[in-house]
Order: sequence, then structure tokens, then C-alpha cells
Amino acid sequence: MTTSITSDRGPRLRLLPPIQHLHLRHPLVIALGALVVSAVAGLALAATAGADPGTVVDALVDGTLGSPFAIGTSLNNAALLMLVAAGFTVAYRAGLVNVGGEGQICLGGIAATAVGVSIPDSVPVPLGLAAALLAAVLAGAAWAGIAAWLRIRRGTSEIITTLLLNFVGLALVVLMVQEPSLLRQPMTSSETLPQSEPLAVSARLPLLGLDRNPATIAIVIAVISVIAVGIMLRHTITGLRLRSVGLSDTASARFGVPVDRTAFLGLAAAGGFSGLAGGLLVASAPFVLADGFSSGFGFSGLVVGLLARGSMTAVIAVSTLFGFLVSGGINLQLAAGVPASTITVVQSLLIILIAGAAWWTSTSKPQRKSRPEVHTEAPAREVLV
Amino acid sequence: MNTAMITEVFTGGVAFAIPLLLAATGESISERAGVLNLSMEGMMLTGAFAGVLASVSTGSAVLGAVAGVVAGLIFGLAQALLSVRLRADQIVVGVAANALALGLTTFGARVLLDAGKGQNVPAFADVRVPVLSDLPIIGPAVFGQTLLGYFCLAVIAALAVIFSRRTMPGIRIDAVGEDATSAGWTGLAVNRIRVAGVLIASAAGGLAGAHLALSEVRSFSENMTAGMGYLAVVAVIAGRWKVSGILWAALFFGVARAMQFALPAIGVNIPYAVLVMLPYLIAIVAVSGFVGGRKAPSCLTVPYIGRV
Repeated sequence: MTTSITSDRGPRLRLLPPIQHLHLRHPLVIALGALVVSAVAGLALAATAGADPGTVVDALVDGTLGSPFAIGTSLNNAALLMLVAAGFTVAYRAGLVNVGGEGQICLGGIAATAVGVSIPDSVPVPLGLAAALLAAVLAGAAWAGIAAWLRIRRGTSEIITTLLLNFVGLALVVLMVQEPSLLRQPMTSSETLPQSEPLAVSARLPLLGLDRNPATIAIVIAVISVIAVGIMLRHTITGLRLRSVGLSDTASARFGVPVDRTAFLGLAAAGGFSGLAGGLLVASAPFVLADGFSSGFGFSGLVVGLLARGSMTAVIAVSTLFGFLVSGGINLQLAAGVPASTITVVQSLLIILIAGAAWWTSTSKPQRKSRPEVHTEAPAREVLV
Repeated sequence: MNTAMITEVFTGGVAFAIPLLLAATGESISERAGVLNLSMEGMMLTGAFAGVLASVSTGSAVLGAVAGVVAGLIFGLAQALLSVRLRADQIVVGVAANALALGLTTFGARVLLDAGKGQNVPAFADVRVPVLSDLPIIGPAVFGQTLLGYFCLAVIAALAVIFSRRTMPGIRIDAVGEDATSAGWTGLAVNRIRVAGVLIASAAGGLAGAHLALSEVRSFSENMTAGMGYLAVVAVIAGRWKVSGILWAALFFGVARAMQFALPAIGVNIPYAVLVMLPYLIAIVAVSGFVGGRKAPSCLTVPYIGRV
């Protein structure tokens, strides 16, 4: 089903560019090269910790595909990354970079918790869950909306504001779970953890129902969302407007595109998707809001979004890869004695390599110049003067 | 609130403000030249890790501080290569570089500083300045630093004077950051000046991290900077790229942090999370131009391609 969506700018639908279009500077080739380099660096790092590559790969595979539990955890991780990355892509189409996934996840989590602990258990699950997740989407969108508003009205870089709002959002979670008057669970003893009450049964994500597998329907929601975004970006007027604003806002304004509204909606949508990820996070086991619950999904989602370069197929593929890597990293530490932070190193190296090669990357095949460039304009200008 | 408590808050505030101010002063020079180092967090963390590692393995805290600066410079060289020479997106590279530094130092701490080696670190001892340290409030806060602390203060002062807006290096840096193209036409080596700016920022960040680890915390723990580097960047924005503004911002952030621990003691009921988010809220307001004063350097994060 994923073959029907790609956001390649060609007229035909295709999963990968035809092989003859690939060349050394093609983004796909560069991404693969960067992946190889950072994987080798990760293996080398693991070797310094005393684990040979074979053990590392075994531990990774075991931690990702070795048990139904591992697969389920990986799929749940992948779902969150897909949502953040899909949102990032929507804003990126409008030329806006959303660095604020982490903060938007926090706000989504807070909103979903607020709804989830206050609805009674007797509400049917679809209704309770929908209410919690809707609150999460709205909260995330509103959080990104602050940055979008500042960008449109004051011209403030959305990169800086979304980044700063991350820290405010993280602190808000602490505030929510520390204050008994907000979302902290009733304190029965001095050992009561600073976290929220568990969400009502009606606001909890149902499991997919696979044997001994913790995978929830989050992955289904995420894949449907990604497909919807792919169709929206490619086949609707909104998608066209987003791209047009991203390419040139002045030209878009001349053509009557509501530039400010489109840009605002683009960034708010990014926030909405991250907020949804936050809502899904608290609606999965252990069903509570606690400090640090977002655990870096905002950053990883940004990495996925950048790597995917606008392609929804790539968003699904890279999210799945990263989702599996995260749970593999935990097993790496348990089974092979290699610190799990190796995965962070590999991820960040990947993004640095791709960003560093951006000046060299090009979608079009390099044209070999058959003759030196002729400067035809210079003499003409002289004549005019 | 009595004098002892004010002294305690102020001492804690200054202790937090010194590494913050050092990093922010370095960062402001780089930003005025047009390069944003969101990787300040990573530079500080790297400096802290290298400082502790060298201090533990050589037994000398001074060598530890030197190692912190060197590690910061190596980090800065990589950052300069990416953001100046390769014209990579400075913000993306900065955020990723922080994650890389976090991953590498966490890895390094697990492998090289295991079994409590990162705990008993040869560190700097407090040196009380006679007479001055007996002054009320200011005495213990400012004149009770370690040797490295006084060195940091000297570096801050030196950077502020050498790169003020009235010296040749300061004017050159401003020229490159405000209008790189014109600066290039006047014969300034734009990219070389920018690389120098990044290196100054990274050396300051490395030193600030080493100071944090070797004279304040006196150990290394995972992610021990915990957002201080981002806060340094925030201080530069909130301080509107001015020495005095950055000084007040850093002091304010430091005192706000010290208040987190002091407020419950005096029965004021402000949740500390509110104080944690306050600096960032101030920065958002400042960066959005709701506060008057100098604007951001025009060429901040804009790479220079060459004479056009």
C-alpha cells in the first residue's frame, strides 16, 4: 500500500527513482553512503568497548526481531517517529523547520493526560481515546502555533522559537507532575512518584492483539496519517500551496496564495502531529505522564524528517529502521555490553554527514561542460553603458 | 529572607553564572561574526568530559583544564569546517553535534570512567581572596572561587575588551557578521574570521565545561551540562549581543536557578519548574523583538560563498 505514495516531483508514481537517474551526488546515494559510514563508525566504537562486530549485529537483531516483545516495542517507537517526521515534512514544504517536536510531544502528552484522567471508565473506548488524542493534537498545534504566529507577525526564526519552546514544554511536564493541584497523582505517602494518575481505561490505546506483543494500534494510526499526508502534499490544493509558499512566498502572494495562513497551518500541523505522538505515548503502557516521558522522540523524528527529504515512503522506511535501532540499542547494552549511547552517536553522525554534504548534493545529473562558458552578457552591458 | 540566605542564593547564582557567562561571551563573538553555534552544549559537555578524563589520568587538575580547552577546540574545528567551509545548515549541524557529544561522552564515561573513576577527580580548591572575601554577600559569591574560576573571570574580561566594538578585532568581526559581502570586498578574509570566531567560542565552551566539572561539580556524570550550553545561547539572544546585556542575563539565569533551591526554604510557593522555564520565555520575548536594543547580526547563520 505504501507504493502508491511518493512525493517525488515526477509526473509518475514511483517508489524509487529509475536506476539511470542515480548518480554520485543523488540524495539517495549520499544518504546510503552516510548510513554506511555512520554504521561503520558505530561498529568501530563498539569494538573499542570490547565487542566484535558479529556480537553487535547479533545483539541488535536479537533486540529488534528476536522476540515478539522486541518487535512490538520497535513498532511502537516507529509509529511515534513517523508522526513527528510526517509533521516535520508538512512544515518543511512551506519552508519552515520545526525543531520543536520534543516540546510539542510534551504538550500533547499533557493534554491527553488531562483528558484521560478526568473521563470516567464507563465511556466507550473509541470515544474516550478520540477525545484524549484530539486534545493532544490541538495542544501540539497550539504550541507550534505560538512559533508560527511569531514567525508571521514578528519575523522571528521559527527554528529558534520552536527550540526554546522545547525547554518550556519539558519544564511544563515537570510542573504538571510535581503539583498536586495540576496532574500529580494524589500523594498517599512520601514515596508517591511525581507522575500523573494512570489514564482511564477508556482512554488507553488498544493492543493490536498479537501474541505476547505490546504493539498498539499506534502503528496503524501513524501509517494512515503518513499516507494521508502523502496524498495531501501531492494531490491537493493545500499541498500545492504549501510547496509554493516554500519555494517563494513573494511569488505565491502574487498568485493569490494566502501565504501567512498557509505557513501558519503548515507549522501548526507539524505541531499537531507531534502532539498526537505525545498523546499516543501517554495512552500506551504505563499510561502515565512522567518527567522525561518524551525521551528524545522529537529529535529522532526531526532526523527522520531530514533524512526522508519529503518522501513519505522514506518516512515510513527510515522511521521503522530507527524505531528498531532504538530498541536494539537497549539490547546492545544488555547483551553485548556496549553502551546504548552508540545508537545516539550513529544517528547524529548520520545527520551531520548528510548536512555536511548538502552543498554537494544535487537531484539533477551533473552536466559535463563540453566547452568553456561563454560570457555573452558582459559585452552587451558595456554597450548599454 | 535573611542575609545568610541572600548570600547563599547569590553565591549559588554566581557559581552557575560563571561557566554560563564564559560560554555566552565566546558564543557572542562567534554570533557577531555570523556563525550560530547551537553546539555550545556539546562543546561544554566535551570540555567537561575531557577535563575530568585528563585530570583523572594525569592527576593534575591544571592539565585537565588544558585538555578541556583542547577538546573544545577540536570540536570547534569540526563545527567550523561544517558551518563555514561546507556551508551546512548551522542549526541542524548544531543540534546534531550536541547529540553526538552527548552520545560520545556517555559512551566514553561508561568505558573510560567506569567503577567510580569519574568521582574522585583531582580538582581545584577554593582560594579565598583576603579581605575582599569578607565583604557581605559579594565576598563569598565572587571572591571565593577556585583558581580556575578566577582564570575564567579573567578570560571573560579579556574577551570582552579585545573584541569590544571599539577595537580592530571587534570591528572586523562585526563587519563580517553584518555584511559579509561588503566585508569581503574590503579585503577581509570573511571565512577565516568566522572560523576564528567559532574557535574562540569552542575554546570558551571547553573551558567553561572544564570549570564546571573540575571546580564546581568535581566529577563527571552523563549529560552533566543539562542544557547549560543552550542557556548560554539564550543568554546571548536575551542580552542582545552586548557584553553588559549578556552579563545581566547570565547573572539573572544563575540567580533564578539558585532560587529553585532557596524558595521552598523561605516558604515562597513558586514551583521550581516555573523558574526553569523563565529564562527560555524571556529569550523568546527578546528574540521576537519585543525588547528594544540591538538586533541580531544580519548575516547570522547565512553562509558566505565568496565575492559576488
